[in-house]
Formats: sequence, C-alpha cells, structure tokens
Amino acid sequence: MVKSTLTPMFWALTPKPKSPKQPSPAFANSTPLVRHKASVNPTTPPPPPPSSAYIHLPFCRKRCHYCDFPILALGSASTPDDPRLSNYVHHLCREITATKPHAHTPLQTVYFGGGTPSLVPPTLVSSVLETLRAKFGIREDAEISMEMDPGTFDAEKMREMVVLGLNRVSLGVQAFQEELLRACGRAHGVKEVLEAIRVVKSCGVRNWSIDLIASLPHQSSDMWEESLRLTVDSQPTHVSVYDLQIEQGTKFGRLYSPGEFPLPSETQSAEFYKMASRILGDANYNHYEISSYCKSGYECKHNFTYWKNKPFYGFGLGSTSFVGGLRFSRPRKVNDYFNFVQNLENGLVNSSGDGQIHGKDTAMDVVMLSLRTSQGLDLKCFQESFGSPIVLSLLEVYKPYVESGLVVCLDEHRKSIRVDDLNNTERKVVYMRLSDPEGFLLSNELIALAFGVIDSWNDCPSYQEAEATLKQEFIC
Amino acid sequence: MTQFSRSAAQYPLLWIQTTSFSRKSSTLDGFYSHTLLHTAVFPQNPEMGYLSKASKILRQSNYLSLSRNFNFNPITGRITNERFSMTRAVLCSHSRQNSTAREKNSIDLSEYPPELVRNFSIIAHVDHGKSTLADRLLELTGTIKKGHGQPQYLDKLQVERERGITVKAQTATMFYKHSVNGDDNSDGKESPNFLLNLIDTPGHVDFTYEVSRSLAACQGVLLVVDAAQGVQAQTVANFYLAFESNLTIVPVINKIDQPTADPDRVKAQLKSMFDLDPSDALLTSAKTGEGLEQILPAVIERIPAPPGRSDSPLRMLLLDSYYDEYRGVICHVAVVDGVLRKGDKISAAATGQSYEALDIGIMHPELTPTGILLTGQVGYVVSGMRSTKEARVGDTIYHTRNAVEPLPGFKPAKHMVFSGLYPADGSDFEALNHAIERLTCNDASVSITKETSTALGLGFRCGFLGLLHMDVFHQRLEQEYGAHVISTVPTVPYIFEFSDGSKLEVQNPATLPSNPKQRVTACWEPTVIATIIIPSEYVGPVITLVSERRGHQLEYSFIDSQRIFMKYRLPLREIVVDFYNELKSITSGYASFDYEDSDYQQADLVKLDILLNGQPVDAMATIVHNTKAYRVGRELAEKLKNVIDRQMFEISIQAAIGSKIIARETISAMRKNVLAKCYGGDVTRKRKLLEKQKEGKKRMKRVGSVDIPQEAFHQLLKVS
Repeated sequence: MVKSTLTPMFWALTPKPKSPKQPSPAFANSTPLVRHKASVNPTTPPPPPPSSAYIHLPFCRKRCHYCDFPILALGSASTPDDPRLSNYVHHLCREITATKPHAHTPLQTVYFGGGTPSLVPPTLVSSVLETLRAKFGIREDAEISMEMDPGTFDAEKMREMVVLGLNRVSLGVQAFQEELLRACGRAHGVKEVLEAIRVVKSCGVRNWSIDLIASLPHQSSDMWEESLRLTVDSQPTHVSVYDLQIEQGTKFGRLYSPGEFPLPSETQSAEFYKMASRILGDANYNHYEISSYCKSGYECKHNFTYWKNKPFYGFGLGSTSFVGGLRFSRPRKVNDYFNFVQNLENGLVNSSGDGQIHGKDTAMDVVMLSLRTSQGLDLKCFQESFGSPIVLSLLEVYKPYVESGLVVCLDEHRKSIRVDDLNNTERKVVYMRLSDPEGFLLSNELIALAFGVIDSWNDCPSYQEAEATLKQEFIC
Repeated sequence: MTQFSRSAAQYPLLWIQTTSFSRKSSTLDGFYSHTLLHTAVFPQNPEMGYLSKASKILRQSNYLSLSRNFNFNPITGRITNERFSMTRAVLCSHSRQNSTAREKNSIDLSEYPPELVRNFSIIAHVDHGKSTLADRLLELTGTIKKGHGQPQYLDKLQVERERGITVKAQTATMFYKHSVNGDDNSDGKESPNFLLNLIDTPGHVDFTYEVSRSLAACQGVLLVVDAAQGVQAQTVANFYLAFESNLTIVPVINKIDQPTADPDRVKAQLKSMFDLDPSDALLTSAKTGEGLEQILPAVIERIPAPPGRSDSPLRMLLLDSYYDEYRGVICHVAVVDGVLRKGDKISAAATGQSYEALDIGIMHPELTPTGILLTGQVGYVVSGMRSTKEARVGDTIYHTRNAVEPLPGFKPAKHMVFSGLYPADGSDFEALNHAIERLTCNDASVSITKETSTALGLGFRCGFLGLLHMDVFHQRLEQEYGAHVISTVPTVPYIFEFSDGSKLEVQNPATLPSNPKQRVTACWEPTVIATIIIPSEYVGPVITLVSERRGHQLEYSFIDSQRIFMKYRLPLREIVVDFYNELKSITSGYASFDYEDSDYQQADLVKLDILLNGQPVDAMATIVHNTKAYRVGRELAEKLKNVIDRQMFEISIQAAIGSKIIARETISAMRKNVLAKCYGGDVTRKRKLLEKQKEGKKRMKRVGSVDIPQEAFHQLLKVS
C-alpha cells in the first residue's frame, strides 16, 4: 500500500538525471538512494568503434631487470632474419585479419609497443601496417608511433620506418648515466643514447619523446637532475617520466624493496617527481598527465585514447584491447597466443564485447583515467552520464583535499575555485583535477577515495531500504 | 575397563568370567548391581551381531524388571556361559535404547522418595578432571554409553569443549543400585535403587552466583583435586562456596595414575587448608578407571538426602536455562518442596510471570519426560517462556494458586565488566544485532544496550559477569554466529561524585565528561579479593606484579613447604586486562588465580582521552588511576603511531586528561604513493590495485578525516 502510493510521489519529486540545473545540496540529501538506480545501474550507450590500435612487438635483446612485460629475449646473436620475428609477425597479421571489425572507422592512431619494436625489420613492420590498412584503413593524418631503443637502429633503418609512415618515436633512454643503465640491465650505454637522439632528429621525426625512469637503484638527486637537463637540451617534443615500479618476479623484485636502500626513500622519490615537474615545466613542457610532459600540441594522441576511456584495438602477445566495452587481454605466452590466433580464425574465441558496460565500472574507469590528466574530470559530462548525487558526493569527499591543495576545482573557463566558493551557485565546478605535483603524487590515494564514493552508490540501498528512508522523511 | 573391553572383543566368553570373578568381594554388593552390569563394557564385536537381533526382540519387555529378575550373584548363581553371554549382551547393549525402553515404561519417579535421592555437584580447579569424572559416572550408571557420545558430555558448547571449562549449568539424572551400610542384604531383599542428580556447575569466579545457586540445590559435593598439582586457587574458592553452603564435602584426589602424582601431599594440603580428614579422601583416576567404584557409594552414604518437605506447597529453584529452537526455553530446576505435575500452573517469583508446565522430566541424560517431579528431584521444565531473560537463575518457581516465601539467595545478575561491541565492518550492524539477540537467548546474564560511537558507529555496550564471561561471549559470537567484532577496552563500573553531590555510574568512559561543569569530588572503583597460589620461588616477581596493579596484601601463608597462598585486594580494573596472562608468564604457568567481588573503594581516577588531530576518539577513552595516567597515555600514543598508516596529511596523536595534553606523537603526511604509468594494458591492473586500496579504506574506522585501522583497537586492548 505504502509503496504504491509513495513511489509515484517520489518520482514526481525527483528531477530527471539530466536536469540542466545544478541541484541544490538539500536535494542531494533527500533523494540520493533511489536516484542512482536510475542513473548508474543501467548500462551506458554502446561506445563508438575504435580508431586506435596497439601493436605489441615483444622482441628484446635481453630482459631489463625491472621488466615484467610479455617479451621474447632474442639474445645478442640474433639477426634481422631470425625466423622467430617473421613467424610472430605472421601470426600477428593473421590475428588482425581474423578480428571482426567493430564498425568501419579508419585508424587515427597506431602504436607499436614492446618489447623493443625497433628490433623488428622495416619489412615486417610494413606488412603489419599493410594488414591494418587493408582491414580497417589508416587515416592520412594518423599518428603512427613506435617505441625505439638506443642501439637497435641506425639512420638507414630510421629512414625506412619514416617512409612506411612512422611519424612519432618514443625513445627508451631511461637514464643518462652509464652505471644506472648497466644496473638496470639495459642493452645500451650512454653513447648509444646520444647517437639515437642524433639519428631521430636527423631523420626529420618532429614528434618524438624521451622516456626516463625515476627512482632507479643508486640514483642520486644529482644524477636525476643531470638526466632531466640533458633531456631538455635534446629538445624532444615529449618526455615521459616513469616512476620505477618494483614488480614481483623481476630481478629488481628479488633484490629490492620500495623505499629501502639502494632505492630512494619515499621522500626522496617524491622529490625526484617534483624536480621533474619543475625542470620540465620551466622548459615549457606541459605536465599533461601524471607521467607525461609535452610541448604544446604534442600530446600523445594514442595514449589519450586510454585516458579518455575510448575504445582501442590491441594485437599481439599479451596485449589488451577495449572493444565493445570489453577489456580483453591476450595470452602472455607465445604458444598460447598462437593457439589463440588459430581459435580466433576458427571463430572459437571472441575478443570484443557486446557493447554493454556496467555503469559502475565505467564510472570508475573514467574517474581513474581522467584524474591522471591535467585536464581532470569533466564533471558536467560525468553528471550527465551518472547523475548529480555522485558528483556531489565526490565534491564532498574531496573537499578537505581542495582545502589542502591536493585537488583543484575549476570553473568552465578553467579558473580555479576556492574552497569557500564551492557552494556558491554562481560559479559552478565544471572540472576537477589533481594538483601538480602534490595531488599527482598522491593520485592513488585520492582516486581510491573516489572509488569509495562510486562503490557506495552501488552497494548501498536495496529498494526496501531506500523506501524506509523515504517513509521516515515523510513522517518527519 | 578399556583393557577388559579389548580382551572381550577377542574372547567374549572368557571375558565374562574374568569380570565376574576378578573383582574384590568387598565392593561386590554395589558393583554387581544391574546398572553396573549393563554399562560396564559393551564389546563392539561384529561376531556378536546375532545377539543384537535377540536384543531387539527382548527390548519390548520391561527392561528394569528383566534386570531385576535376573538377580545374578556371581558367587552362587552360576549360569551357563552361553545363556549368560546372551542375556548379558541384551543388558549391556544399547544403553540408549535401554533408556528408551525405560522411557517407554516411563520412569516412575514416585519410586524415589527423598531418602533415595542424592543431589551433588563436582567442583574442581580447571583441568583437574571434573568433566572426565562426570563422563565416567554417567557411563558407570549406564546413563551414557561408554565410547559413545562426545567426551565432556555435559559441556555442550564448543567454547566449553575447547577451553575445558563449564559456563552453563547442566544436570544429569542417574540411577544406581546400592545397599546402604547396615541394610541387611542377606534376607533376599534387593538393594534399593537410588536416584542421583549430578549438577554440573561452572567453575569460574565469574559465575560464582550461578555456582552458588547450583550448590543450593545440592547437599554435597565431590571436591576434585589433581593428585600432582594439588590445591589450586579455584579449589580454594570452590571449597569455601560449598563449605559456606553447609554441604558435605567428599574429597576426591584424581589423576593418581600420573607419574608425578603425590596423593599424600594433597591429603596433607586438604587437611591443612580445609581441615578435611585425609582418610575421607577417595583416590581415583578417571582416565584408567581406578577407584571410581568408590565414588557413588560414598555419594550415597556420606551425602544426606534432600531435606525438603513433600507435603509443603511447591517451591522450585531455577538453576539455569537454555533456549531450544523447537521447544523454547528449557529450565533446569530442583524441586525443594512439594510436587510439580505436568499441566500445573506455575509462577516465577522474581518476574511475577505465570506459565504452564507443558512438559517436565529429567535429564537422563537428554530430556526424558516423566510428567512429575517430586521433592528433592532435579529435572527440567518447559513452560512456554519466550526468552531466557524470563528465567532468572536462582529464582523460585511455585504453584500460581499457592504463593510461597521465595527461596533465599536470589540476586539479579551483577555486571562487573563492560565493553563496547561494534561490527568490524560498519555496515554489518544488523548482522551483529541479530547474532547478539540470538546469543542472549542462551545467555541472559549479559546486559545489552545500544550505543553510538563517532569512531565505530552503531554498536552495543555489553555488561558481563566477569572477564571469562566476556571472553566466552566474544568467542561464541564469532564461533556460533560468525560475527566479526571490534571490542573496546573493557572497563569496570566506576562511580564519580561531583561537587553538587550528584553521582554518576560510568560504564562507558566516553560518557564521563572530559571537562565537567561540576568538579569531581570523589571516585570509587570496584575491587576484588584475589587468591593466588604459587610455587615459592615465584613470590618476588608476583609481589612486584601485584603491587604494580595497586594490590594490597591481606594474607600470606604456606600451603606446604613448596607453595605459597596469598590474598590480595586488587582494583577490578587492574585485572580486567591482561593480568592473568602476565601472572602466568612470570610464573611459567604455575600460578593459579581466582578472585571474588569485593566492595567499592575510593581511588584517584582520571579520564584519559585520546585525540586524533584534536578530535577525541570516544571509543578509545579510558579511566585510569592518576599515577598511571602518564605512562598509559604515552604507551597508547606510541602504539597508535605504529598502527595508524601515514595519510595524506599530518596526524597528531594526543593523550589528554581534561584539557591537559600529557603525551603526543605525530605521524607525518604521506609523500607519495605508487605512480605506475597507465596505458591500455595497465587499466585493469591499475583498477584492481585501486579497488583493493578502496576496500582497505572501507574497513577503516574514521574519526574526523583520520582513518583508523581495526588493528588499532585490538592493539589498545594490550595496554593496561
């Protein structure tokens, strides 16, 4: 009885999720329980078809001490005509061909990652690109990137790659100190690094990145500063700064524990991060993502598909794709991968989803990925997809951190809003981002807070509980 | 006995002869009563399978009369082996079925006037063999079958079995044929059958009141003492309980099979401590069976029959109760005067509520309806009580139409230890509520009130009879109801008096104002009288410990050349946390300890607050003695510093008395946490990592913006 009379009343009181007005806090307090059922639980509309492809080329001369990627160490005696290379690329092309095209959209970005893709002969790279072109099409202005390691290519090889269409290079420098490169098991020295930089620049690649690793064992503040200075001097358009992760099962994992000598302490490591932010910032690089810096206009478009939670293909050993709402990881062992390709051809497996995604998962992914960027979370879009109560809860949980400067609220003109003005209806919070560097440094902690908010929206109220709350309110 | 049974399995016929003639004639009269015969041993022998067929046929007949007619006299009545073995098998087998047969013929309790009834209890220090001895007596009388049913038959709860303790009273009725000395047995008149009620009581001090009520239904006790360990603290406490109740005490020196057994030394202790005649002590081993045959005769001959009057109006003592899902509350009762019949209208004196005796009977050993309970008898009553809260231990039950003077000694439960119980996961309040409701159905002695803590959310303030009771309650909550709880530091009920003359009883330190408007003019705390018995070499460290705990020595004496007996007055608060463990550890486990409640005494007490970033954590507030406040405050702050993780801001931990900060620690802000890159393939991995981190946060308790791990609350229990 009560249910049948109250429910319609309630719904009549509830504004539609896409209410154009910013709801008042009072409204949020009175209606959240049922609201999220209407907004978060239903699946979001099917995502657009992918226009990005990640290609995994797993070959390395040897495994670096920190690496837990699915790679194939060829050994130093390997030659470009190593049958393992051609055999793998053959399977890779078969996988591309056997993949159901989600919808016909030409690719805007292609990213060759590894391993060390630059070990693969240009002819094989060419066959991969041709297969992609035949299958999906590649736009004229597509960004085609490749991770390249010093010592694995010369000017000739570089030029051949450029001819194939490669227009962005991500150079795995990691450090400018001989002893650090040796200590982390890299297959090159500083000489090769400098040579590689020269080659890339001389071959007319405008868009290129230097990748560095911070917090290596025995790395001193001076060494880190030197690496950053030399990077700036090399004038790449993009710099990636990775914080060393000690992964289980790696050599470093056996030798070191985070925060303990010879690894830098937590405080020191935080200082390294801040130093990078300062030095690169001073050199006019935008810190546009937690670990990425670029000159204006040189963001990595491919990586942005990840951070915008857009779909992408993934091909090759251990790679992950995000098609039709499904994150699918391919086998990490070569034989398993080859079997997978076989099964894919025979229609026994499917690597894409049915287009349905659970709202909560999407909300978490969106928050996690967008808060890694300097652009931050677009609250307006987020509210349209997931409802305003969740946005208000996010603001509420972040309020102390807005106050302490870890989180920044921005208006539609991307002007920051002071914490006292948060409740001011005149200035709507349109974006929310983590501050650089303090907020970025604690991103895991802060994002986990947001997860708590999203999670509690979902696992709270059964319908009955929501109703009970309602009744109480009506009684009062 | 075990040995016999083994040989019997191999040579059934030979075994019968062995049992028949190997016993000393001095005990023959008692020993060869039918009850013993049918329980002595039943060999589990497949070769005897054909006999069970016979038993099925014979079961229809009246077992009791059968056994009586079969007046076996081992000396005069030689029966052929074959016939005997068959009959014996019938008698011996299926003691449960035998009792079923007996039930079918419904035990006629009117055959047992008070002079044929003995009500007794077994009291002992923990692990001195009380439960095993009870098992043996139940087996000896055929009440349970040897080797069947679980050991510690009367300890039904998992927690009782695991800890080897009894927390709920149980009763068991046994039948035993015995000719009393002086009774001439030669005229062919058979020995009378006695009805023996074993009332199993908790042994621990927390349940002193329950024990005293159980003892009130007895006329005597078996005081069991371990032959090697001798008199221990609980032995002393239990002895005095029995002694003050004017009960006959039958000393039993048990475990004499141990290599270190020294019964003479124990006899000397019994003499010097309790003035018990050494020649009265029975020497037994419940393990090997040695000496057990003397026990029941001693019970019958030494313990007087219950003194009640059959012709008086009904007065029944309520011993304990438990909740049965199907039958509701089942009360254990002892009929002091008068007669209770099924269908009688009865009332409880303490609650004034009336009921109908829907079902009554004896525990033999399970519920066995008899339709009647007569003066002096002990059994159960099902009366439609909805909750055990209505069944107050020690209450008097009487015929509604015939009001009586209640039996003396009834006291409402007195709660001495309080602690807050909160769901470990805040969202589990309903689950905990449900678990507590169901558990208190079976343990009405816990007081439960809802309370709210800013740190821990909704929870309960629970009052317990004592420490063990609290522990047992926690354990049962977790074991029987799967509840995960955070418990606040146990506290005792303090009394604070303010300058305006008002008084406040504080069961939860958080409820005492930190900066009261009225000045505190006096405070009182409950004290106990503790009995400690230790080998003399540990005297030094024990005295140091007790002094640290603000103990005041009352008595110091030697039990014998090696052992010291000490009495101390101690604030209850000082033994609530960790005292017994400490005592055990400094005496390598040799100390025995017991205590009884004593009066309130004035003390210089202060409230110690713990503040996180300036916010008091209500669940961490404690009341401590002024002289200890600084040390405790420092320890608490230090402990917390070690268990609270670094967070995104600096955290200050302060211990304060009123507005005075007495200790401070700081946890510096987290600088950075993992900054993995996050590309396509990393999204899932990263998500999982962050979700794990989120789950971790969810389990934390929060005060202001500070997350407190559950571990912090557990750690606090370790600081006294």
